[in-house]
Amino acid sequence: MDALKGNQTITQEDTSNREWKFSEILADQKIRDRWEKVRKYFFLRESTYDMTNRCNIRCEGCYYYEGDKQFARENKDPTAWSKLMRDEKARGITYVVLAGAEPSLVPDLCEICYQEMPLGAIASNGLKLIPEAINYKIHISVWGNDETSLKIRNAKNMLLRQIENYEGDPRAVFVYTFTRNNIDQVHEVTEILAENGCKLTFNIFSAPVGYDGPLRQTTASLNDTRKTMIELLLEYPENILFSYYSSVAHTHHYGLHDLYSCSYPRMNPSTDIGLGRSFRQYRTDLTWDRDVACCVPDTDCVDCRHYAAGSAVVTARLFRHATDPDIFKAWLDYVDTYLAVWVMRYEKGDNLCNHLVAPPGHGIS
Amino acid sequence: MSIESSVDEIILRVAQIMIQELKLEDVTPETFDPEIDLIDEVGIDSMDLATVALVLQDEYAIRIDEDDYPKLSNIRFISEYVDNKLKDRS
Repeated sequence: MDALKGNQTITQEDTSNREWKFSEILADQKIRDRWEKVRKYFFLRESTYDMTNRCNIRCEGCYYYEGDKQFARENKDPTAWSKLMRDEKARGITYVVLAGAEPSLVPDLCEICYQEMPLGAIASNGLKLIPEAINYKIHISVWGNDETSLKIRNAKNMLLRQIENYEGDPRAVFVYTFTRNNIDQVHEVTEILAENGCKLTFNIFSAPVGYDGPLRQTTASLNDTRKTMIELLLEYPENILFSYYSSVAHTHHYGLHDLYSCSYPRMNPSTDIGLGRSFRQYRTDLTWDRDVACCVPDTDCVDCRHYAAGSAVVTARLFRHATDPDIFKAWLDYVDTYLAVWVMRYEKGDNLCNHLVAPPGHGIS
Repeated sequence: MSIESSVDEIILRVAQIMIQELKLEDVTPETFDPEIDLIDEVGIDSMDLATVALVLQDEYAIRIDEDDYPKLSNIRFISEYVDNKLKDRS
């Protein structure tokens, strides 16, 4: 992998010790343009919502069926959902993520959310088409090739069925979750998705609390995953929504919390500003609990490298990345990627930083 | 900006930066209430505050600690914080 060799791989130690002013970093027109592009979306304030406790498949390592939230009563009252969305808007929420267990099973409730809150995303297994009227981004989970999906998700011809539903749909982003056992399979999956013109991004399996099964990543598998991500990024630049820095942030020896200090309430006691103040994770009974509030509840925080967590946690660390042009470009690529994955009609630009850069205060891996 | 800048002068400049960087409307540096809660009443979030902090660092040649953000909840607090940093430097 050329991009990982020789002088194409740099760490922060390789850059000069010069102290950069923010205005000096922005003096580069490409950086300034990208900064102006992404900062328009700083108004996004997210919360997440479990829509139903039902799912049409059962996957090994599913975070939803861990912990207490799976036992919450389902509130199916459209009026209650409509009121919740209005209340959320009133307290400043501008973006919703409709998640567990399988939102496509309750399209009416999803549509009510969309009518009140026009920006959002739905996490789905993609087996049931979500009506076009719900113009949210739709993240379709892929956990390997169809043989693996049959084994760990008990669903036949999964990729084929997902593509049939979402081929050519501008809402759709396929999310390939790397476990330690499916790294090689991503090549065939990406080839199929690319042939069908689908967009793809990457996730890292982040173990639920107490999970010690075969999907859990190891240091070796994280290294292999990073190498594979970059190979694919170079091979399919039109289809893959990712960046070099995304690969570093999500395959580092340390998880997101250790690298960036997770800003979700579950790990952040501060209610002064940011996610610690505004974020809520609603269960299907429309209650929420600050002590477990994060985008992937019941994930083992030390092992969390989840793409949704990173989208908020890495992005929130603007200040730490505005120290030199290289690391700032890497951060801009990360934010540009996250916006393309999560926001309808947002188009990702070319990555500005095409080599590996270490997270602030850490090594490269 | 000289290090002798009074807090009142800093308040005006911080208000100006905030209006410019966050594209706030219907307010001028002179009419921006320095006591108004930026988070609860203006709707500023952590990304906005980080942006303003970066510009203030440039402007006053000081370092703003990320952990100090919670203290910076209105323009007066920000200006006093900057003033203290300038005094520490001198």
